[in-house]
Amino acid sequence: MAANLTTGGAIVDAPIRLNEPVLRWRSRAHSIEEVEQELSRIWSQVNLESDVDADGDHVNERHVGARTSVMNLVVIAARQEVGERCAATIQRLVGRHPSRTTIVQPADPDGPSWLDAQIVAHCIMPRADAPETCAETIHLTCGGESGRHLDAIVAPLLIHDLPVTVWWPDEPSFGSAPVNDLLVMADRLIVDGSGWHGTGLTQLRRMAAAANRLPLAISDFAMVRQSRWREAIAAIFDIPDFLPYLRHIRRIAVTYGVRDEFGAETTNIVKPLYHAAWLASRLGMEVTRPLAPMTSGAGRKPPVRGAGGRLTTLANPSAGLGAALRLDRSDVAIVIRPVLSAMPSGTTLRVELLADWRGSELRADVTAEQEAVHVRVWQDGVHALERGFNAPRRTDVDLLAEAIEAGGRDPVASGTLALAAELAGGPFP
Amino acid sequence: MTDTAVPKRRKTSDAADAPSVAPETAPDRTPHPAPRAKDVPRTMKELRIARQGKRKPPPKQDDNPLREGLRLERVPDPSCLVLFGATGDLAHRKVIPALYQLWRTNLLPHDFVVLAIGRRAYDDDTLRAEFHDSLEKYSRVLPLDDAAWRSFSARIRYQKLDFDNVADYDKLTTVLDAIDKEQNSRGNHLYYLATQPSAFAEIVGQLGRVGLDHERHEGGWRRIVIEKPFGHDLNSAIRLNREVGKVFRESQVYRIDHYLGKETVRNLLVFRFGNGIFEPIWNRRHIDHIQITVAETIGVENRGAFYEETGASRDFLQNHLLQLLSLVAMEPPATFDADALRDEKVKVIRAIGEMTTDQIRSDVIRGQYGPGWVAAKPVKGYRQEPQVDPESETETYIAARFEVDDWRWSGVPFYLRTGKRLPKRATEIAIQFKEVPHRLFRESGTDPDPNLLAIRIQPDEGIMLRFGAKVPGLGIDVRSVTMDFTYGSAFTVDSPDAYETLILDALLGDASLFTRADEVEGAWARVTPIIDSWMDEGPPEFPNYESGTWGPDEADELLGREGRKWRRI
Repeated sequence: MAANLTTGGAIVDAPIRLNEPVLRWRSRAHSIEEVEQELSRIWSQVNLESDVDADGDHVNERHVGARTSVMNLVVIAARQEVGERCAATIQRLVGRHPSRTTIVQPADPDGPSWLDAQIVAHCIMPRADAPETCAETIHLTCGGESGRHLDAIVAPLLIHDLPVTVWWPDEPSFGSAPVNDLLVMADRLIVDGSGWHGTGLTQLRRMAAAANRLPLAISDFAMVRQSRWREAIAAIFDIPDFLPYLRHIRRIAVTYGVRDEFGAETTNIVKPLYHAAWLASRLGMEVTRPLAPMTSGAGRKPPVRGAGGRLTTLANPSAGLGAALRLDRSDVAIVIRPVLSAMPSGTTLRVELLADWRGSELRADVTAEQEAVHVRVWQDGVHALERGFNAPRRTDVDLLAEAIEAGGRDPVASGTLALAAELAGGPFP
Repeated sequence: MTDTAVPKRRKTSDAADAPSVAPETAPDRTPHPAPRAKDVPRTMKELRIARQGKRKPPPKQDDNPLREGLRLERVPDPSCLVLFGATGDLAHRKVIPALYQLWRTNLLPHDFVVLAIGRRAYDDDTLRAEFHDSLEKYSRVLPLDDAAWRSFSARIRYQKLDFDNVADYDKLTTVLDAIDKEQNSRGNHLYYLATQPSAFAEIVGQLGRVGLDHERHEGGWRRIVIEKPFGHDLNSAIRLNREVGKVFRESQVYRIDHYLGKETVRNLLVFRFGNGIFEPIWNRRHIDHIQITVAETIGVENRGAFYEETGASRDFLQNHLLQLLSLVAMEPPATFDADALRDEKVKVIRAIGEMTTDQIRSDVIRGQYGPGWVAAKPVKGYRQEPQVDPESETETYIAARFEVDDWRWSGVPFYLRTGKRLPKRATEIAIQFKEVPHRLFRESGTDPDPNLLAIRIQPDEGIMLRFGAKVPGLGIDVRSVTMDFTYGSAFTVDSPDAYETLILDALLGDASLFTRADEVEGAWARVTPIIDSWMDEGPPEFPNYESGTWGPDEADELLGREGRKWRRI
């Protein structure tokens, strides 16, 4: 039986499906005041209730909805389809992280100011004998001048005392006033650096500058996606015999895929860069020479930069980028190089580590193969370890959940971002 | 070497450090020869150089800086789980569903093998098909994920083994060696004994005989998981510990009490030690008494023969109830590592005084259910259950009053009760606080109840705090209201099953939630005198409570005589 989707109120006969979010309220508003009134209307009812079972039949037992929120989630979507995709992802998390979600979509920036809001509440019932948990979503489309004052739109709709997470699925213009004003009120920013244009390094440097300036925790899906790789690399040095080599790493090489031989200049390399930056930051390395196009001299030339610090000319794109770091008193070479691959451009294919300790050499090779990450280690040329880690592809729901669950400012993430920005030439002032 | 061999300068120095006159109580013994001066580092520099020269202990995983901040749970080392009793009920209901769930959520290592051991003649495919059928029934997440099952089942192998057949263990060694080589499990073995308790000692002894207990120098670990009941009284527990201890070191032994793996039980530690406001009032000054209830609606079902030999005291009191008591009453451990935690729990168990016969008569109530009604259905009495002696003296209910005789709890009674065929299935810990010292609102029509904190372990896991509030209106009427936190509505994700938590911990080598030998023996030392005392008494007047009631009247009197009553659940 189809739900009776009335405008402006509760939907009482939506069928209940265990563990599935069900629409229980839908209404519209055209000003922030009206949105606030609608939110009050939702929750001033004693309960959202349903008396319909999974087959859509009316039953005597009424399921009571309990309002729960653990945070404010603000999504800034440049396009409608992006907003819809984010809303669908967030709905899957109603049970796990019930939040008040505000999806803001600026539109028609040169036209007159207007606002259109759709307010919906979804409920989820984890068990047949449990109360439903409900959370609300506000879809806001703001035209004209109002779309440039994101903070003024979002602030009145926040539930007080709850943390504010801003999810920016597109490319935030870090440094601009509207973005700054919004981030000032946020506790966490969620982005996906692997989707930024070009190499992504300019945006990464700007984001690092914002992280320095604001007390903001940043979760980058590009970094979150690599957690299995980090687990695999860390596991090598859980072995006591290999641990001493860790502080004597001499070379970190990350190989990523490009679709064609001309792709190296424009491929987003945020993900491969994070691998190197994570290792370097965990080991306390210092950047002595930032990333620069490698020539046959293996990156001995200074980086060539154009306007805005963008790396412009690659003498030999297929040779990749090279950087130099310092660990204790030794030099460490970083190499980030492209290879032709059928995988999506910018995907990490291999991380190689070379360490040299007391005349003994350790070489580790970490590769992605289907849904696993494989580790192979050679000690003085002798095969010493082979191990696999399950690493299935992760959905946006998984990534968002993991980003949200990272409470507070994660020192590992912020250290990695800071070092990645240093490798890319330093955060923008 | 004698004193005379020591150079003069050294002697002078010793004399300066030593008391001028030997104490009168100094033992009359030959003085130890003094070490040669060159062996004794003297200055800070010498001490530092000497220390640097010593062989350093091997680095630990904690020293790995790459581990810091990894948000994913650590994946266990490549390993082989050797499941004894694989064709039995426990394996099908609990162990395999837990392993499947761990595999499905990528918490097991990629190089992982389950070597299922049983006495029946099976092949791999037959056993896998049976496991699949069991998963359809017992998996907590349905429908099954076909891809996950396919990859998991490919890692299950079957090996026929008679527990007392020496040659079969030799064969097992060969099979495990082959698995270690082919599957890259690197000699890491977790032996899981999901068998009858009577087979524990035999299996452990045989594993020792063929050397499968030996941890390898290159890092291969060997651990053993033993299911409860661990012994049936103090002596048998000591004997079994001794048998296990002949083969495995204590650090290799993981004794399961699945209650400790329950999410809410683990949350009890977070609740107590992760919040600042409760610990200051968690003592005799503020708490009147504590009630711990484990109530079941079911009878003995098809376990009559087993239950005849155990009863409520062995089945629940010795393990689950005393474990819950120790978690409620323990001091904060210095760290969250296994031994620090278990040290504190053992202290609580030891602080429970051993009961005298008179105390047992007055403070321990036993009961047995007769016929009655549970959940609107008529049910049989215990003596009418299959495989039960029609004149059975086995208790299906026990209520006891314990005291933890330490600084924090002296004088605070802990009332524990458990029983079958009670009106409701519920496990909870109720902390009853003292009444306010001065009744300020005398004109209130109703006396507010003292504050109560109830920690519900199952079902409806959550925490409830009862406090007084003013009834809206012109007068001052005070009523009790509750502030209720329900896990299900705050976190609607499913909690992991206790077996998932415990098996993963065992694979990771974290023994925090497993009971140590001294804990087991300490608990038996409190319960065995009760059982012994009953053996000396005349036959009890059983049955003494109707199914569907809250136990015998004497259990109410146990609290009633002190002006208290059981909490209505």
